[in-house]
Amino acid sequence: MPYSTEGVVAVVLVTIALIALLVLRPSLVAARGGRILAFLCLFALPLLATGLGMSAQVEHSKSTSFCLSCHVMEPYGKSLYVDDSSYLPAGHFQNNRVPRDKACFTCHTDYTMFGDYKAKLRGLRHVYVNYIGTIPKEIKLYEPYNNRECLHCHAGARSFEESDLHKEIRPDLATNTTSCLECHDTVHNAHGLDGAKMWKEEKP
Amino acid sequence: MTHPLARLLRLSGLLVGLGLIVEALTLLWSHPTAFLVFLLLGGSLVAAGVLLYLYAIATYPASPPQA
Repeated sequence: MPYSTEGVVAVVLVTIALIALLVLRPSLVAARGGRILAFLCLFALPLLATGLGMSAQVEHSKSTSFCLSCHVMEPYGKSLYVDDSSYLPAGHFQNNRVPRDKACFTCHTDYTMFGDYKAKLRGLRHVYVNYIGTIPKEIKLYEPYNNRECLHCHAGARSFEESDLHKEIRPDLATNTTSCLECHDTVHNAHGLDGAKMWKEEKP
Repeated sequence: MTHPLARLLRLSGLLVGLGLIVEALTLLWSHPTAFLVFLLLGGSLVAAGVLLYLYAIATYPASPPQA
C-alpha cells in the first residue's frame, strides 16, 4: 500500500518534536506517562515512520524518472519518444497504453503474486551493479519476455482478440509457444536511435 | 551528574532524530542514491537509536532519572 511522502514527513516531524521534548526533559520518564512517551517516540513511531518511508521509497522506485535517472538507462528513455509507432515502447508510452509516470515498471514487472517483489529485488541488483559492479555493454532481460505481461492488458481487448492473426495463434500466445515479440520485434533499439525522428508532445 | 538512563535516552533520541531527518530528506529526491541513503544511513541510525533505547530500559528498568 503506497503512502504519500507528505504523510511520512508529517509522522517524522511529530516524532522529532516528541524526541526533542524527551531529550530536553529526561525527567519525564520518571512518570508512567513519560515512559509511554519514550516508548512512542523512541520505538513505535520511528519504526512506523521507517516502514512508511520504505513504502514511499518503493513507490518512488516505480516511477519512470527513477529508472531513467541512471545514466545507462538514458537511451532507453529516449526510445520512448521515437516518432515511430512500430517501436513498441514508444507506441505504448505516447498513446497512454501504459501510465507515463510508471512506463518502465508497467512492462518490466511480472504480473504474478510476487512479481512486484521480484522486480524490486532485481532493481536492488541494478543499483548494486550501477554503483559497485560492472555495467554490461549490452543490457539484456534476465529471461525471455513473457507474453503474460502483454496479455495482462491486451487479453480481452477487442482490437487484440478480433485480429485474424491473433485468433489464429491465440493458444500459442497463451502458452508462450509463440512470443509476441516475434512479430512486434522493434522494441527499444536503444543504441540505434541516432538520427531517429523524435516526438515532441504538443501541450494543449 | 546525569543519570545513565537519561544519558542513554538522550543519545537514543539523538540517533533516532538524526535517522528520521535523513529518511525524510531522502523522500524528497526520487533517485537510487536516495533509496540507498534512506536504507543504509537513515535506517541504520534509527535502528541504532531504537536498540539503544531497548538496551537502556532493559538495563535500568526501575531507576527514574532526575533532570
